[in-house]
Amino acid sequence: MDAKLVERLKEIVGSEHIFDKYEDRYCYTYDASFITVGKKEVPELIVYPGSKEEVAEVLKLANEYKIPIIPRGAGSNVSGGTISRSDAIVMVLTRMNKIINIDRKNMIAELEPGVITAEFQTQVEKLDLFYPPDPASKAFSTMGGNVAECAGGPRGAKYGVTRDYVLGLEVVLPSGQILNVGARTMKSVAGYDLTRLFVGSEGTLCVITKIIVKLLPLPEAKKTMLAIFDDLYKASETVAQVFMAGIIPTTLELLDNIYIKNIEDYVKIGLPIDAEAVLLIEVDGDALVLDKQINTISEICKEYGARDVKVAQNEKEAEDLWVARRSAFAAVSRVRPTIIGEDCTVPRDKIPEVVKKIREISAKYNIIIAVLGHAGDGNLHATILTDERDHEEMARVERAIEEIFIATLEAKGTLTGEHGVGRAKGKYLHLEVGKEGIDLMKALKKTMDPNNILNPGQMLGE
Amino acid sequence: MSLQWRELEKEVVRCIKCGACQTVCPVFKELEAESTVARGKVNLIKAVIRGDVEPNENFSERMSWCLACKACVENCPSGVKVDQLVIGARQKLVEDKGLPFLKRMIFRIGLRNRRLFDLGLGMGSVFQHLLFRPAANGQGMLPRLPMGLDKRRVLTPLAAKNFTNRSSEKNKALNEEKTVAFFTGCMINYVNPEIGDAVLKLLQNNGSTVVVPKNQHCCGTPAYVNGDLSTAKELAKATVDTFCDLKVDAIITACGSCGLALRNEYFEILSDEPGYQDKVNKIAKKTMDIAEYLAQKGLRGELKQVKKVVTYHESCHLGRGLKIKKQPRDLMKSVPGVDLKEIKDPGRCCGAAGSFSLSHYDLSMKINKYKTDDIVNTGAQVIVTGCAACMMHIKDGLNQSDNSQIKVMHTAELLAEAYKEES
Repeated sequence: MDAKLVERLKEIVGSEHIFDKYEDRYCYTYDASFITVGKKEVPELIVYPGSKEEVAEVLKLANEYKIPIIPRGAGSNVSGGTISRSDAIVMVLTRMNKIINIDRKNMIAELEPGVITAEFQTQVEKLDLFYPPDPASKAFSTMGGNVAECAGGPRGAKYGVTRDYVLGLEVVLPSGQILNVGARTMKSVAGYDLTRLFVGSEGTLCVITKIIVKLLPLPEAKKTMLAIFDDLYKASETVAQVFMAGIIPTTLELLDNIYIKNIEDYVKIGLPIDAEAVLLIEVDGDALVLDKQINTISEICKEYGARDVKVAQNEKEAEDLWVARRSAFAAVSRVRPTIIGEDCTVPRDKIPEVVKKIREISAKYNIIIAVLGHAGDGNLHATILTDERDHEEMARVERAIEEIFIATLEAKGTLTGEHGVGRAKGKYLHLEVGKEGIDLMKALKKTMDPNNILNPGQMLGE
Repeated sequence: MSLQWRELEKEVVRCIKCGACQTVCPVFKELEAESTVARGKVNLIKAVIRGDVEPNENFSERMSWCLACKACVENCPSGVKVDQLVIGARQKLVEDKGLPFLKRMIFRIGLRNRRLFDLGLGMGSVFQHLLFRPAANGQGMLPRLPMGLDKRRVLTPLAAKNFTNRSSEKNKALNEEKTVAFFTGCMINYVNPEIGDAVLKLLQNNGSTVVVPKNQHCCGTPAYVNGDLSTAKELAKATVDTFCDLKVDAIITACGSCGLALRNEYFEILSDEPGYQDKVNKIAKKTMDIAEYLAQKGLRGELKQVKKVVTYHESCHLGRGLKIKKQPRDLMKSVPGVDLKEIKDPGRCCGAAGSFSLSHYDLSMKINKYKTDDIVNTGAQVIVTGCAACMMHIKDGLNQSDNSQIKVMHTAELLAEAYKEES
């Protein structure tokens, strides 16, 4: 890399916030996805800017020298969205980690991109406010990353995803221009909705330097229950019925037998290991109506084939169930070392047929595919348990994934509900959005990033 | 027989690279580069196995940036034993390149030879007054000259006479029910023998006769965590040989790292040592931390009032290593007058990490700063912990931040005050 450029970058962010040793740079060749590029794609330099001005200066330089910039938070995305390339500078935004303010009267908050999601939630909940999106990585993911990936989570069934909370953004464009989009109000139709364009843009259009989110009142109480099924198909049929009864649960999780057995083996809280499926359901809101809602859901579950329904009698019992749920990935990671969590999402009424299809694909390719879905929002996490060192099996895995994608699209679903396209799904995107969709996205990208310096190769390919 | 890098692969591939370790790694919080967090270190080891990274100086430096505090291990959804991987990498580096000079002198020549070690530290206790001046409020001492130690640094002076030499080999209980052996560890033996006195007093007052074997030595942990497996083996064997045939009901430790070595790590350290498996097993079963041992029945006899506001720091190896968190608190709360105020994040590493604080003093003090602030915020008069190495580091932090009025005590010392004779 040009020595003059490195000197300039050191002046901008300070030499202590630049890493140029090979061993340090190597550690940006992976993120939480199954993709690792290794020594052939070790980035040129790592910079940790501390302010929007520094971000802008770095981007201006990169644009001038036509060097790719890969924006990154905690590197906890699972689509390969922050994987490095050998000609790039990785820009890590974790130093910009201040909550600027939490405005109780307007129920909004303003924060920097490096704030940790769970830390932000803790702070707003102290004020009886609520920021619902809860990706599994919330304890360590950054809010900037959540916005760039449009992160979801189990609460999506009732509360939606990150985009439903972002009112406005401050972003830096590749030219170095600092731009404010959106508003601080619940309503705003002033021009194109650029906020929505940037949310989920996976670091390909801008670097986010400030986020304005709306907040909700913190629900007063919640209640958790477990419905046990001897038939996975019946369990998945029950999902839509709950909603049709007029209840929107906060979360409605579907776990298959592979998950049940491994979680129980791991945390030992008395899950029914002989069950083919369980639905883990939580409702929240006014304490007075929760019992009524839980009773209605229990009746529906029994009517549609649950052999048993257990309602958590106290906080401890509820927490046990959620501990079990949260340990799901860890539990199955003990079966095989490589876990590939897909996030195909289908309309709720299509869950039974797609679950059945996944079972068939698993048998056809002789690979283990477990299902743990945020079924309430149709987000099926088909989880492939494999071993990256076994190349023959990995080839079968790839074919199985393609078939799952096709089944999802046939069921009018989407290839990715919350993980993003990144590197993992770039080559399949055209199946869903068509050539016209790809062409328009590429044209937008070219307008905003004419030199293609922001996260090139991600999402839309080269 | 050389440990192959590939042997680490089985554990390395279990890392799913989720990044959860970023929230808990104290070193990463200071150094900010991905290569300094557990995920980074695991992936660097993986890179060495793949041939992507050379096990060179830079790699070695990154492997040295680990406190072995186990915070990442406890927080890891897949339960990857990151500390074992880092120690494994250090072993391989030592095998390939040898130990740095100072560590070689200490581990290979000093630690391996108990009498030389005794002599060296004994001489040290005589000459240290020339080199050090006392620190404020009688808490430790400060170096007079910059002799490789930071001049700001408060060290606890070496004891004039080490604990095993000054105590009897057999110490009768008041009402004998059990006989136990006391494994003192280096810090108590050479630096803080008063903790050893407190341990004896507590055990004797609680029905246990205490045997203190004279020829006991270092448990081997300092050598083990720095990758010097051959020295660790020598020391582990010496400890096992000294303790395994004693006719005692329990082996008492008063240091989390020693306890963890005797109870868990010897299985690993001596795994390929013929004839040692049964002995290690026997010792592991008998080893108990002083707080754990006393908590089985609770403190007995008449307890005197100890009017103190205290807070408790969980040393990494006692808390996360041996899972002893509740017992010291229960015991302290059972002493009349003791007011226990919980500290924020009691299990956060104080930054000492044994020899880490010697080789990375500035970094270890940055990590220590959180602990100092958290202690001060509790308003406690005394910070109590179950590890003498933590005590020294915490004392240093309190002194440098002008908080030397806050006393630092071992759990055993605080509890022993309940048995103090009227003066």
